[in-house]
Amino acid sequence: MVSLVRTLRNMRRAGLKEWWRQMQYIGDAKYGRFVGKDQFGNRYFENLNPEEEIPGRHRWVDYAQHEFHASQVPPEWHSWIHHIRQSPPTEDAVVKSLTPPWQAPWVENLTGTRGAFKTYNTAAPKIQSWEPKIAARGA
Amino acid sequence: MLREAVVAGHLGARSFHLTAAVLSPSPSQPVSAPIPSSTTSATEPITALANRDSNQYSLEHPKNKAEYVLSTLDKVANWARQGSMWPMTFGLACCAVEMMHMAAARYDQDRLGIIFRASPRQSDIMIVAGTLTNKMAPALRKVYDQMPEPRWVVSMGSCANGGGYYHYSYSVVRGCDRIVPVDIYVPGCPPTAEALLYGMLQLQRKMRRSRKGVLWYRK
Repeated sequence: MVSLVRTLRNMRRAGLKEWWRQMQYIGDAKYGRFVGKDQFGNRYFENLNPEEEIPGRHRWVDYAQHEFHASQVPPEWHSWIHHIRQSPPTEDAVVKSLTPPWQAPWVENLTGTRGAFKTYNTAAPKIQSWEPKIAARGA
Repeated sequence: MLREAVVAGHLGARSFHLTAAVLSPSPSQPVSAPIPSSTTSATEPITALANRDSNQYSLEHPKNKAEYVLSTLDKVANWARQGSMWPMTFGLACCAVEMMHMAAARYDQDRLGIIFRASPRQSDIMIVAGTLTNKMAPALRKVYDQMPEPRWVVSMGSCANGGGYYHYSYSVVRGCDRIVPVDIYVPGCPPTAEALLYGMLQLQRKMRRSRKGVLWYRK
């Protein structure tokens, strides 16, 4: 699907600046409808034309961070980009009306930082180590 | 620490594992504002906030010209390493099937430069995929010892992480980290090929963090 014609066409459509950014991060010249932006500034795109994008590559994300990885996509947009939901969270009626007020803010994977998950146990230990008590020797 | 975790659980908030020096600075050092537990900033993301005042932060920010040169050389070495990760396949059980899926057409590990090697002398990563039994453990350690430095270990699946389903078996090692030092734990029973690939990307992240030259210079 990557052809010179397609690259030049997408370059012209997206603009040189956008194309340069895509080559740095996505590695392919892509052009599609801008669907929305999440709270982190990641931008989401879609191109449903099978002549322009292979089905399967038709939804993509442009990460805001330089050190990007997949867990920076919040769950609402994750469900859109993985086709769990058809419409994006900005339009989806269920997501818009049923987001609970107690929902915690989304935090990306903190592995390798000091926010990394560490297991802990709140139950009392079932096994105690032996603490020897020595009776004083009779004089 | 335990109490802290319980409190954090009640508040539904996340706490960072900070060193004693950061948690209670000396009287001469003013107490900095508490680190927020979430942010939407792209220039100072939560990963940067979590590493504020850490040793890693200090290593990544050179203090003089020698450190600048060394950290740049480190980055070049990291780039080379993360672009050609050659895992030693230690397929022990059903996880190995998912590991093969990672190599197959859909997830295509080759685009990341990951190529399975059958020889420990040529590989720099070991993927422990599956239940590690007591009988297999000496062989695993021997293979690990044969791998050249630098080497990493990815523990794949519940069984390799901590014994998993066979935790209480008489013949199973309760986690391969009892035998070899593990860098990345991939959870799942078995983890999907996607999860393993994500684990490999996390390992790339870990490789990028390495500042061996700067560390050597500071010593």
